Amino acid sequence: MIYSLKEVSKKYSTRNGSVHSLDGVTFDVQQGERVALIGPSGAGKTTLFRLLNATLRPTDGEIRFDGKDVGLMPARALRAMRRRIGTIYQQHHLVPSLTALENTLCGKLGQWSLLQTLRNIIKPAPAEAEQAMAALESVGLADKRRARADELSGGQQQRLAIARALMQNPDVILADEPFASLDPALTESIASLLFGLIDGGKRTMVVTLHDVEMAMWYFPRIVALREGRIVFDRPSTQINRDELDALYAGNLNSTHERDEMRSSFKSERNCAR
Amino acid sequence: MNEIARADYRGQHRATLRRTLIAAALVALIIFSWQMAEIRPAAFFAADSIAAVIDFLKGLFPPDLSTDFLRIVFVAAGRTVAIAIAGTLLSIIIGLPLGVIATSTLFRRGVLLAGERRGVSTFLLAGVSRAARALLGFLRAVPDLMWGLLFVVAVGLGSLAGALALAVSYAGVLGRVYADVFESVDARPLEALHATGATRSQVFVRAVWPQSKPAVIAYTLYSFECCMRAASVLGFIGAGGIGYEISLSMRLFRYDQVLTLIIAFILLLTATDAFSRYLRRRLRANAPQGTLAHERVNGLGSVLITGISLERVMNIAIAITAIAIVTGSFYASGFFDGSLMDATLLQRMGRFVGAMMPPEVSASFLRSLVEPLFQTIGISVMGTLIGMAIGALLALPATATLIFIEKDEAGKRSRTERAARRGIYTFARTVLSLLRSIPELVWVLMCIIAVGLGPFAGAVAIGLHTGGVLGKLYAETLEEAPENPLEALRSTGARRVQVLVWGIWPQARPMLVSYTVLRWETNLRVSTVLGLVGGGGLGQAIYNNIQLGFYTRVATLILVVYALVVTTDWIGDRLRERPAS
Repeated sequence: MIYSLKEVSKKYSTRNGSVHSLDGVTFDVQQGERVALIGPSGAGKTTLFRLLNATLRPTDGEIRFDGKDVGLMPARALRAMRRRIGTIYQQHHLVPSLTALENTLCGKLGQWSLLQTLRNIIKPAPAEAEQAMAALESVGLADKRRARADELSGGQQQRLAIARALMQNPDVILADEPFASLDPALTESIASLLFGLIDGGKRTMVVTLHDVEMAMWYFPRIVALREGRIVFDRPSTQINRDELDALYAGNLNSTHERDEMRSSFKSERNCAR
Repeated sequence: MNEIARADYRGQHRATLRRTLIAAALVALIIFSWQMAEIRPAAFFAADSIAAVIDFLKGLFPPDLSTDFLRIVFVAAGRTVAIAIAGTLLSIIIGLPLGVIATSTLFRRGVLLAGERRGVSTFLLAGVSRAARALLGFLRAVPDLMWGLLFVVAVGLGSLAGALALAVSYAGVLGRVYADVFESVDARPLEALHATGATRSQVFVRAVWPQSKPAVIAYTLYSFECCMRAASVLGFIGAGGIGYEISLSMRLFRYDQVLTLIIAFILLLTATDAFSRYLRRRLRANAPQGTLAHERVNGLGSVLITGISLERVMNIAIAITAIAIVTGSFYASGFFDGSLMDATLLQRMGRFVGAMMPPEVSASFLRSLVEPLFQTIGISVMGTLIGMAIGALLALPATATLIFIEKDEAGKRSRTERAARRGIYTFARTVLSLLRSIPELVWVLMCIIAVGLGPFAGAVAIGLHTGGVLGKLYAETLEEAPENPLEALRSTGARRVQVLVWGIWPQARPMLVSYTVLRWETNLRVSTVLGLVGGGGLGQAIYNNIQLGFYTRVATLILVVYALVVTTDWIGDRLRERPAS
């Protein structure tokens, strides 16, 4: 069992008292599983996501990674844990003034000693550079290696973020809305890249998605969140329309968005055939 | 692929060559500056200099808090404030008209002149406007202390020289800023008024002024803060106030008095900061919703006091206090005690200016200037480098985002670690603000104790003050690096140092470079005056020649300083334009 969450809550204090972003969430993730987190906007997906990559501390409850309690980890153990988790952020979170190659190298930071870090900022070690080039090549950005990250298009940045995760060679891959800002054609290519990362079931993958069709299509297991609580958690084959409609009920905007996405996705699939 | 690789190689080759050349030039500059500034790190560790520093530090404590001396401090502080207020007001009175005339959009180009027939008068006006701008540039480029020295010679020792020096020097600063502000206003209202047939002065009053008023007020207040700093320092060359007392106590080896004076100086600056912040907030608060607040207070006032509103009483009270303070300031700076009315004063000033003409340009004299000129450049470069080192070293523990553990950060939390981190942060910030708040000239006097007279003391003094300034700016720049990429790096398991090197540094670098270059420009100005108190460079030559009465040489030296400052600003602008390297 790679993740084990028990009654995890996260409260944020605002002017009008505290707001529950997550409220008593309990679930496990097995090694090699592919899980999609779905739910309307504001359901707490991104908060849960940041709890999973150990950049945020829960207000209550216990998170175990590989059997160890994250809340009790000293800094060193925490870094060791993060090293095993590759995160692909929705906004990509690249360092804008570094080149594509340098951003890819960043994936290795957790594995370098201080000396290596300083050495690699001047000139990366040949082995590292080669590995980074291979990662860039596999996402189709080899010719952009000298371009600054902020000169790349949205799709290219997304691919660069994936290259960085590839470089890290993690056991777990977390991706926050990896298809949110992409057009259908790009979605297809990014999806195949992303699922290529799973490496035949060796790696675990947790993805947040607002697009239900996509989640059901690609992910065997779906965890649905609404207002910080788990609404259902089951194999995607056992989910029916009514449940989904209830999940998004009263959320006109995202239903509309979902319908739009659904139609575009369907037409794209037809095209592919 | 092969072709890409080859082009890549060529590009890389060229980049490497350029980088090597720049690095070589930098190394050469540093070696040259090291030589010129007579850097001798060993001087710090010589037994007698260590003993001197220990004596000095021992002598500082306990500060002299006897009533007699406190009275002196109080009077000196009052005089400094008076000089600053009088100087600021005079600088506005001189700077504002010059600034208006220097505004290019009123007299030289733009909508007001587009449709006009080009006659002799427009040509003349443009010439006058250009001349005003040049004059402002000159007033600004010659350091305030240099002006102080000249006025001390022209009108004699005392506060009057200080106030006049501030007036002239900051008129240059303010006039230039005013002109820039006037030029940057939205041109459409100008065009509209011009189209209705409004005169130039009407356009200024109705279109330019209302748009630029907030910026003008903000800059003027900022300039007042600078004047306060400068007024304290001007005392070193005999212009009265706290600086004068500091140099006096230093010469009498009364270091306990020095400490009292420095504390008073820091308190004065803190109070000025607070006062100008208060004024700024009040003015800003009044500006947009002034009418609403006005009405409410008015209504309340008329209920409480029949006839006169509370607001009105307040305003009248504030006005009376302001007038009293201003009159007092002018009085205390020696404007009314007869010295200004003295018929011989103008005569003396005239004679002094006459004595400076024509500037001496004999080859042997010019040749003798080369060494102090290089020395000044060397001092500014070494001072900036020392400042960079101190600043960088202290900025890291003073950067909140680097040193603190966020409240929401995952993992185990240890209370002692948190307390230790807070302690380190507070220590670094305190040292930085201490370094920053003591002016370079005071540092020079202390450095002279440690390493003796000369350019080395000047370079170290500049380095210490610059370290405080740059350290704070560096820390703030590092704190402002966008957080998202850093979170991503942290999530790969990177340590803090790695996040700094790979995430914060690349994002902050352009700003860090820009601040450092700006500071170097400031330091060059400072290093031209350090010699006045024994810190080497051109200042020393000016001081010597004034003492000897060679005023034509002084004129040449001032022109050299002007040229040097203008050149530095030009180089600095070029350096800052290219953020990449």
